[in-house]
Order: sequence, then structure tokens, then C-alpha cells
Amino acid sequence: MDFEDTPDEAAWRDEVRGFLEEHKEQLGSRSGQRTFDETLARQRQALLYGAGLVGVTWPEEAGGRGGSPMQQAIIDQEMARADVPGLVNLIGIGMCGPTVIYHGSEDQRSRYLERLLRADDIWCQLFSEPASGSDLAALRTKAVQDEQGDWHVDGQKVWTTMAHISDYGILLTRTDPDVAKHRGLTMFVVDMKAPGVTVRPLRQMSGGSDFNEVFFDDVVIPDSERLGEVGDGWRVALTTLMSERLTLGGGGTEIGVSVDKVARHVADRLPDLPEERQAIVRQQLGRSYVATLGIRYTGYRLLTALSQGNLPGPEASAGKLAGTKAAREMADLAVRLLGDDAVYAESSDGSGSWQLAQAGLPGMAIAGGTNEVLRNIIGERVLGLPPEPRADKDVTFDELAKAGR
Amino acid sequence: MYFDLDDDQRSLASAARDFLGSSASPAAARAALEDPSAPVLPGRVDLVKSGFAAITVPESAGGGGGTVLDLAVVAEQAGRVLAGPSLVTFARAAVLLDGDEARLAGLVDGSLAVAVHDGGPVLDAVGADRFLALRGEDVVLASGTVTRRPGIDPTRGLADVALDEGEVVAAGDSARWERALLVGRAILAAEDLGTAARALEIGVAYTKERHAFGRPIGSYQAVKHALVDAYVEVEQLRSLVWWAAWAADHAPDELPLAANAAKGAAASALERAGETLIQVHGGIGFTWEHDAHLYWRRAKVDRFLLGDDVSAYDEVARLAVAGATR
Repeated sequence: MDFEDTPDEAAWRDEVRGFLEEHKEQLGSRSGQRTFDETLARQRQALLYGAGLVGVTWPEEAGGRGGSPMQQAIIDQEMARADVPGLVNLIGIGMCGPTVIYHGSEDQRSRYLERLLRADDIWCQLFSEPASGSDLAALRTKAVQDEQGDWHVDGQKVWTTMAHISDYGILLTRTDPDVAKHRGLTMFVVDMKAPGVTVRPLRQMSGGSDFNEVFFDDVVIPDSERLGEVGDGWRVALTTLMSERLTLGGGGTEIGVSVDKVARHVADRLPDLPEERQAIVRQQLGRSYVATLGIRYTGYRLLTALSQGNLPGPEASAGKLAGTKAAREMADLAVRLLGDDAVYAESSDGSGSWQLAQAGLPGMAIAGGTNEVLRNIIGERVLGLPPEPRADKDVTFDELAKAGR
Repeated sequence: MYFDLDDDQRSLASAARDFLGSSASPAAARAALEDPSAPVLPGRVDLVKSGFAAITVPESAGGGGGTVLDLAVVAEQAGRVLAGPSLVTFARAAVLLDGDEARLAGLVDGSLAVAVHDGGPVLDAVGADRFLALRGEDVVLASGTVTRRPGIDPTRGLADVALDEGEVVAAGDSARWERALLVGRAILAAEDLGTAARALEIGVAYTKERHAFGRPIGSYQAVKHALVDAYVEVEQLRSLVWWAAWAADHAPDELPLAANAAKGAAASALERAGETLIQVHGGIGFTWEHDAHLYWRRAKVDRFLLGDDVSAYDEVARLAVAGATR
């Protein structure tokens, strides 16, 4: 057992760290970021791509480096350490790109992938709908093929992160309502600037606008933009979702709240509190700190598996369950410590980061698989518990829809 | 980075599982609960004979010359079958008697039946005739008068002990006492890891078999999610146990944080696993006849051993705050 890099890993870490330090000014800082600047964000990713730090695990013919997940983990760690803002095209890199790599035509791969890595194009993932969130295969957006072979898309997607600045998206549609719901789906690449695509930002409870509703009104997609076979969309989507697990796999990274910042905040405020209150605060901090250490060291087990060449299984989702719980407890503690300022959106010194974190965290337990769905996955795939009986098997989508299910 | 057990440690776990699985059991824990004169198994003699108890004692004194992590791997297996006496006692004694080859040899061959006295109820006092204690800055070894009281978990051999005069075995060495305590917390957490993991397994197995309303109860999300939450805590605990044991061997600076984190997480995870085990069994889980309460008893007692979980979390917070202001 050891926590040292192998010589290869150490050399790679040096290279990454060296580049990030050298370009510190251009890359900007995550914590100092007040507003989102799209142009800067694209430039930042292009700069990192030029240095080989974007899409390192992608095959070389797709514009990547054919590198290992461990190399990617080291990039993530060093980016966090250097306080570099996250990549603007994270969803493109983590989910859309791999789907194009596995299921796209040669023509699609050559047109899209390198531009995606360089953030020439930003991508979004058009899966969820108002009536199909966790139950993705219940989606209703329909695609119908005309006599020329083009597809006509009508429907609505929702919770689509980055859609408002996206150039392309991967779009899951229903192409056959007369078969079981998982069987009648087909995936496409859609041009987000095409006529009939309308993007409307949604405002989150935290006040920010990171995701959108997307409306499709007779949007025409050439058949050459199909990903995978007609009716094979579910299998294609699983590729996307597996890649998502690798991207958000929780290699022990913190979700939304930094425990070190919380500890500093506690250290600042503790001396001013009455003694009996100090004991309660220490109890809360202690529990959150232990939870965070547990997540961090469990992440090291995951990284170890990666560096041994194993891919994370469904047990990796445990990191998200533990992480969202710890983050909410920490945000709660941090806000409480603000005293009278805790009831205001901004503290009297003008800062509002703890209040903002508090309002953003409910979303983390929903995004990327709700915590309830993740518990089902762990329960069934890791603990081997039986699934719930389902009312949507052996029924066509059309019958389900007519029955209002 | 390699944060996992290696092949040798896996073989060790397997050997420990064979020995402990055949020499201790929930049935033995139950017998000790029903009859205070029944032995706790495997018991001091067999545990010492197996060689597992003295893994961390240097080879020069006849021990295994192994690491704290090795002992943690064994302790997890001991926890699975509710074995006694605790490996915590041997882990602490090995640290406290470090350099004292004659007494260490006694620990290894069983002629020194020792327990460690922290001031309150003494773990493994039953069957011990000598006690290590901190007196001022000195570590002392003394005989004592053992007063047994009905225990919640008899496998822990807890009793009140009035110490006699005794002799100093390490003068002016409270640092050694502190290290022994931290190593003890790591090993206690390792035993609790095994107990919690086993309790979870039993709960999962039952909910696959037991049917209600026409299907296995493990298919209901209310039941499934409770088990998953216990599973998540068990796996986080496993990581902290490994880290704490590794720190004891390789990073003494990290040991106070790691050992207290493991101790706190162990108390929380084992309580959740024990409570969940009973709950998913329904009425049968609350009966004397069912084994569920044997695991639950461990949870309710272990959380108070070597300092309680509240103190452990407090210590973690103090270290975190000190680290933040450095």
C-alpha cells in the first residue's frame, strides 16, 4: 500500500503541473470567477487541448492521446490544485464525444471530434424530458423519416446543461412507438443552430441559469447524422451514461463544497462563539470532516483500480451518495456560522458564497442520476437485491402513453 | 498509488478467516451471553497459539514481525464472527511493551494475560491478571481486582478493575501511551468493519428470501435503500481503516487524524448496520433467538470503547481547525 505516483505518473504530473503554472494568468482561477465568460472559457479549453490535456483518454485517431484514466485523474487533481476553472465542454468530452467515437460514422468522427476537444464546438446532451427523467426510455420527442430519408423531429427536452451556448447536441428520440419503449429509440447528432430549435434558459432555485429547455419544431436532421442503427438508441444511450459515470465517477473529489474552506471558516468563527456552542460546531465539523476523508480515501481505491487497468463499476456511485450528503451537511454548518447573516442572501461584507452553495446543493442530489436511482443501482448490481416489478414490460410505448403511464 | 490490499494481505485475511471462522461464532457469543461462565471464543489461549494475536510483536520476541495493517486485516475477520478477546488488547500491549523482549515473549506465549486499563471499564479484563495503565507520565504493569458486571456484549470481557501498585515498564513515556491508544482505535475500527460488513450481508441475504405482498422484501426501495446506505458507510469505513492502519505503520503524523476518523466512522457505520439488520428482519429480528442483536450489542458497546465517538469527532474537528489556522 502506498500513495506515491509511479515514475510514469510522477513524470506526467510534473508535465501537467508545469504547464498549468506556466499559463496561470491565461487560465484564470476557479475561485476568483465571478461571472461566466464564454469566449474565455473556449480559449482556456483550446489552450489546454494544445498541451494535450483535454481528452487524454480518447484514441489518437479521435484527436486524443490514447492515455489512461489515471492520466486523466492526475489532470483533474492538478487542475483542482491549480484552481483552474472546469472545462466548458465537459459534457461534450465526457458523454457526447465518446458516443460519437463508439457509434458515429467515419465522416462524423472526422468532422466533430477534434473541434469538440478544442471547444470550437460546444456540445450538450438532449436526453431528459418533462415526462421522462429517471425513466429515460419513456421519452416522447419523436423523429419521423420522410421519403428523402431525412428525419423530422418534434418535441421538448429539459434540464439540458449548456444548451444555450451549444453548437451541437446528441439527441435521443422515439422513432417507433409500436414496440416496447426501450426498443423504439434512435440517437442523432443535432445542429443546435438548425431552424426549429429553440433554447430557453431555465432559472434554478439558486438564481443561476446553467440549464435549459429545448424545443424542437419540425427540425430536419439528415440520416447521415444518425448515431447507431434505427431502433438501437437505448444501447447507444447506455454508452453515453457509462461514460458519464467515468466522468463524474467521483475519484474522491468534493461535490460543491470544499472541506478545507469549511474548516477555515470554522477556525475564523469559533473563537467568537460561546463555549457550549463551540462543542456543537466541532461535533458537526468533525462528522463532515470524517465523511470527507472517507470519500477521499474511497476515491483513492477507485484510482488504484483505474491505475491497475480496471474500470469502475456501479459501486463508484457510492461516492456521489456520500458526497452529496457530506456537502449538504457542510453547507449547513457553514451557513449557521454566519450568525445573523445566515438569513440573508449576502452577508454584510458582500460575500454570499455559503448561501449560494446551500441553494445549489439540492440539485447535486438530482443531477447525473438521482440519489434514489443510484441507490437502486447499487442495491441491485452491487448487493444483488431483486429489482422492483415493472408495469412497463411487454407493452408498447403507444399503449403505455394511452394508459397515461 | 496503490491503495488496496496486496496478495500477501489477502492470503492473510483468508487464513484468518479460516481460523476465526472455525474457532469463534455468533453461537459462541450467544452462549457467553446466556451463561457468564461460558468462554468467549476463540479465547486467549487459542488466539495466542494461532499466532494472529502477536502479529505486530517483533520477530526477536517471537512475534510475527508484521504491520498494523496486517493486524487490521485479521481484526476485520475477527469482527465478522464476534471473536474475543479483542485484537485491540494485543495491539496496544505490543506498543506499550515495545523493547521489553521478556514481557513481549510472555504476550506471545500467553503466559502474560494482560489487558489495558484506561480508567473506566476494562476491555478483556475477564481472563486477564495483569493490567497496563498510565500513571502520571509512566506506563505501569500491575495486578488488580476484577469485578465483573453483567455486560451488554460479553464477548468484550468488560469489567471494573481496581489496580494494585505495580511496576513501571516505560518511565516518562506518555507519547507511547498515546500511540498505543491510536493504534488501538484503528484496530477497533477494523473489528467493527468486519462486524458491520457481516451484519449487512445477513440483512441482504434475508431480504432476498423473505417475501411480502408477493415479492422479496429486498425489492422494495424502502428496504433496499436502507441496506445501500449501510453499504456506503461500510465501504467508507473500510477506506478509513486501511488509511489509519497504514498511517500507524508509515505516517505517524497522520495517525491522530486517521485513527480518530476511523474510530468515529466505525461507531456510526456499525450502529447503522446493526440497527438496519434488525429493522429489515421485522419482528424476528427483535427476538432473543435471532442473532441480529448479537451484532447490535457490539455496536452499542464498541462506540464507547477507547473514548467514545463524540470525542473522536471532536478530536478530528480540533485537528482540522488547527490545520486550517496553520
